[in-house]
Amino acid sequence: MASLKRWALVALAACVVVALAYLPPRGATPNGSSVFVAQSRWGTPARQRAQALAAEWRVADASLRLLRARRELQELLREAKAGTSLVVVSESADVAIATPPIADSAIRVAWRQLGLGETKVRVAVIIQLAVASAVHDRPTIEEGIAAYLAPDSTDRTTCIVVLPAGNYWTRVFRGAEVSGRLQFDAAVLTLKSGLGPCAFYAAYGTPGKSVRGWLVSRGWDLALTLDAGARGRQGNSPIGMAEARYYSYWEAIYSLPPTAVACIASRPEGCRAAVLAGASDDPAIPFPDIVRIDRRWWRRVPLLVDGQRFLADVAHEVGRDRFVSFWTSALPVDTALAAALKRPVGEWTADWERGFVRPIRLGPTPPFGGVAIALAIAALALAIVAGTASRRQVR
Amino acid sequence: MRVLVALLVIAAAPSVAIGQQRWARQVQERVQRAITAVGPSSRLPVVKRSGMLNTDEAASFQTTLLERTSYAIVAVCDDDCSRLQLTLLTPSGSEIAKERNSESLPTLHFTAETTTPYGVRVVMEGCRWNPCWYAVAVIPLGKNAPSR
Repeated sequence: MASLKRWALVALAACVVVALAYLPPRGATPNGSSVFVAQSRWGTPARQRAQALAAEWRVADASLRLLRARRELQELLREAKAGTSLVVVSESADVAIATPPIADSAIRVAWRQLGLGETKVRVAVIIQLAVASAVHDRPTIEEGIAAYLAPDSTDRTTCIVVLPAGNYWTRVFRGAEVSGRLQFDAAVLTLKSGLGPCAFYAAYGTPGKSVRGWLVSRGWDLALTLDAGARGRQGNSPIGMAEARYYSYWEAIYSLPPTAVACIASRPEGCRAAVLAGASDDPAIPFPDIVRIDRRWWRRVPLLVDGQRFLADVAHEVGRDRFVSFWTSALPVDTALAAALKRPVGEWTADWERGFVRPIRLGPTPPFGGVAIALAIAALALAIVAGTASRRQVR
Repeated sequence: MRVLVALLVIAAAPSVAIGQQRWARQVQERVQRAITAVGPSSRLPVVKRSGMLNTDEAASFQTTLLERTSYAIVAVCDDDCSRLQLTLLTPSGSEIAKERNSESLPTLHFTAETTTPYGVRVVMEGCRWNPCWYAVAVIPLGKNAPSR
C-alpha cells in the first residue's frame, strides 16, 4: 500500500512538472497562426507590451538614423569617386568606424556585378557591425532587418541603406573567420541582396507613382534583389527546397495566402491577384519613404513564392527599355506590366512560378488505388444485389 | 550614428572629386550653349536656375523682368528627358505663355510691359530615367527689341 502511494505521488509530481513546462503563463496568448505551424507562446501581457515598445523604438530609431545619415553623408556622396555612385560607411555601437576592407571590397564587387556605375540615384550603405558585448540601455538591433530611405522631394538623388551585419558577418569582416574565396563570394552575395530597393533605384531611377505606391504598399517584396541569378539555383523558399512527400512542404503551403497557393497551382487569375496585390488607382507614398525589410526569408509569409526576384526576372526577360517604360509609367500597374511583358500578367507569372515550384493540384484528388478499391466494392455490391434479386424473382 | 560627422574624415579615401554628377554638367553645358546662341544683351544679367525633377513633377521660380525689355526664356534637360514644359506666369499666377511642343528645348520670347516679378514654371512631362536634370535661363535681349 505504501509503495502504491509512493507511485501515485511520483505520477502526480511528474504531471506538475509537465504542466509547468508546457502550459503558458497566466495571461499569455497563443500566437494565432495556423494550426499547421508550430505553436509558440508569446509570453505574458507585460512581456508583450515590452516587446511592442521595443519594436516601436527600433522603428523610430531606424527612421532617425536614416534621416540624419542623409544629411550628414551629402559631402561624401558629392565626393564619390568618378564613375561610381556608391558610398560605404560603417559603424559599431553608434560609433563611426573605418569600413573593414573585406566589406568594402565585397560591396564594390557587388555593385559592379549588378552592372551599376555612375547612377542618377546614388546609394549610401551604412554597415552596422555587431557589438561584442550586449547593450542594456536600449533594445538590441535585430540583425536580420535592413532599413532603406528612398529618395524624395527633399533629396531626389540619394537612397540610403542601413544594413546590420550580424554576428557572423561581423566576425568575417573583422577577419576572425577564415576568409577564403568562397566566403568572399558569399559576402558579395549577401551585400548584393542587402542593397534591396536601393539597387532598383540606382539601376532604373525613381519609379512612377503607381509602381512606387504598389511596391511600398507590399513592402517591396517583389523587388528585394536586383540580380536574382540563374533560375532554380537560389530558390530559397521552404516550398522550393522541400519535397511534396514531406510534412514541411505542406506546412509551408498551408501557411501561404490563397492567391499564392492558386499561383503554385498554375492558375493565372491567382497569379495575377498575387502580383497585383497592393496596386491602387490612387497610391499613397509615405513621407519620408522608409522601408524596413526582414531579410530572413523564413520569417516572411510571401504573397508570391520566390517573389523576391520577380521584378528582377521581369527586367531580365523584357530588357531595359521595356522595363524602364513600365517602371516610370503613369498607367495603372496591371496595364503597364502587361504592356512590358506583352502578355497578361497572370499567364506570364504562372509560367514564371513553374520555374521554381512544381505545380500542385487543387481540389479533391483521390488516389488511383483508392478509386480502384471503391469501384471494386461498388461492383461487388451490385453483383450481390443483382444475384439476390434474381434468386427471389417470382416467375 | 551620433558621430556620423566623423565619417567625413574616416571615409575620405583619396578620390577624384567630381563636384556634380554628369547629368548636371550636361545641362549646364547645354544651357550655356543656348545662351551663347541666343546672344544676350551685354548690359543685363542672365538669370539661371537648375535642378532635377521626376516625371510629372514641377518647379517654379520668380524673376523680375524689366519694362520694355525683350527676353528669351530657354529650358534644357538631360539626355533621358523626353518632354519638358515651360510656362511664363504673371505675379498672380496666371499663364502668359506656355511652350510644350519642342520636347526637350522649349523656348519663350516675351517683352515685359512693366517692371515686375514674373513666374517661370518647368514641368517634367517625360523622363525615361528619373530624376531628370533641367536648367532654365532667362536671357535679356535688350531694350525696345521687337516682341515675338
